[in-house]
Amino acid sequence: MNVFKELYNYRELLKTNIKKEIRGKYKGSWLGVLWTFLNPLLMLAVYAFVFPYILRVDVENYTIFMIVALIPWNFFTTAVQTGTSSVTINGNILKKVYFPREIIPLSVTTSQLVNFLITCLIMFGFILFSGVGFSIHFLLFPVLVFVQFILTLGINLILSAVTVFVNDVAHFVQVAMTLGFYATPVVYLSSMLPEKFQWVMHINPMAVLVESYRAILYYHKMPDMYWLGIWIVLSIIILVVGYMIFKKLERTFVEEL
Amino acid sequence: MGVEKDVAIKATHVSKDFKLYYDKAHTLKEKLLFFSKKNKNKNDILHVLKDINLEIKKGESVALIGTNGSGKSTLLKLMTRIIYPNKGRITTNGKLTSLLELGAGFHEDFTGRENIYFNASIFGLTRQEIDEKIDEIIEFSELKDFIDNPVRTYSSGMYMRLAFSVAINVQAEILLIDEILAVGDKHFQDKCFAKLMELKKAGKTIVIVTHDTDKVKKFCDRAVWLYNGEIRMDGETNKVLQEYIKVCG
Repeated sequence: MNVFKELYNYRELLKTNIKKEIRGKYKGSWLGVLWTFLNPLLMLAVYAFVFPYILRVDVENYTIFMIVALIPWNFFTTAVQTGTSSVTINGNILKKVYFPREIIPLSVTTSQLVNFLITCLIMFGFILFSGVGFSIHFLLFPVLVFVQFILTLGINLILSAVTVFVNDVAHFVQVAMTLGFYATPVVYLSSMLPEKFQWVMHINPMAVLVESYRAILYYHKMPDMYWLGIWIVLSIIILVVGYMIFKKLERTFVEEL
Repeated sequence: MGVEKDVAIKATHVSKDFKLYYDKAHTLKEKLLFFSKKNKNKNDILHVLKDINLEIKKGESVALIGTNGSGKSTLLKLMTRIIYPNKGRITTNGKLTSLLELGAGFHEDFTGRENIYFNASIFGLTRQEIDEKIDEIIEFSELKDFIDNPVRTYSSGMYMRLAFSVAINVQAEILLIDEILAVGDKHFQDKCFAKLMELKKAGKTIVIVTHDTDKVKKFCDRAVWLYNGEIRMDGETNKVLQEYIKVCG
């Protein structure tokens, strides 16, 4: 497998890139890396107030109900949004030296994964102190994270490469993410959705994933293995196809940038 | 990949075209608007390289010469895999470093030392390999007293010295150099030249693009003369240079 061999050879570049992503993001801000925690916490505070009190979503332990979905969702949106423009942003360096181009979307996605795992610690703290606690189903957590990572990476490979040729993609992505937030049961129960829209919960991979996170962390039960299984397979396909698209398009990156 | 063991770089039937955009459609709207219009033939195509066949053996030092726009730099970029040919294929055999754009990926706010790590990792070195080389790199750059200062405080000469020191010390088997023998002052240039000589003696493959015919004579065993995207002459340095000077003055 040439893919892995070359990435292995360039592992130091991958590492420094990931570090730079994580450190660089909050450079110049007073609170620095603390924002990694503060950002989702503040968002959580807003939602935890808006939905139970204003919109009257009546769920026991609403904060936990939401946080187990919101944090994976945040990982997805930030990773896709930064991933989409990653190749264009690094245009200058691509013009100057050769290195395996896929390192760029890979390091962006991985650095967001690291951020996600850090914020997961907060989430676990909430789960523990709220009395919801953990069950044996927690063992599935790494599987879900892995599937989400593969899916996100696949999407980023496609979007980052296409953006080089059509700048507008970034704007579409922004709109798609806003839509996606409401098409994903982050702040509401999927059962609140009318019957005729239930299909959205199946064709939206993040809905399937978010429901699975919620199943294992909040309801302490097994996720819907049928749809999760389908999306595991599809995520792998998206990654492979994404990689092929990226490899095909990267040949003319430098001339287009 | 079908490359013989003693060959470092091989180009077979390589052609490269560039589109000349006068006004490039960059957004979807523009692409749709201008899709059907005569806009297509507004993008002229420039044939920069035409059917290049070239084989460079390991340990050879080759100069690419030619007037501006003859395609030398494009050929060099193809060798580094920054761009890809439209036709044909180009294969390289061995770890490659390019001294085309020095200081690629230097980060202004990071110190010289951090930038060495970052820059060397772009060339595919591991942390351990960089650890082993770092003293040598700093020594070569003669920036010992400034190495822990941010690179933005460097003068342009210092900047280039640091970049050159990294690029030349990454233990590559193939070095691609574009008009680079003009880094820093006379003293540093001589030092670079000596270092290149040393690498040449150590059996590295070196390809240089330059207009400096004196340096070519002193350094390269072989010269390839590119003219309008084709190889006009390829052979022993002095012979090629004689012809080249006759034609291009």
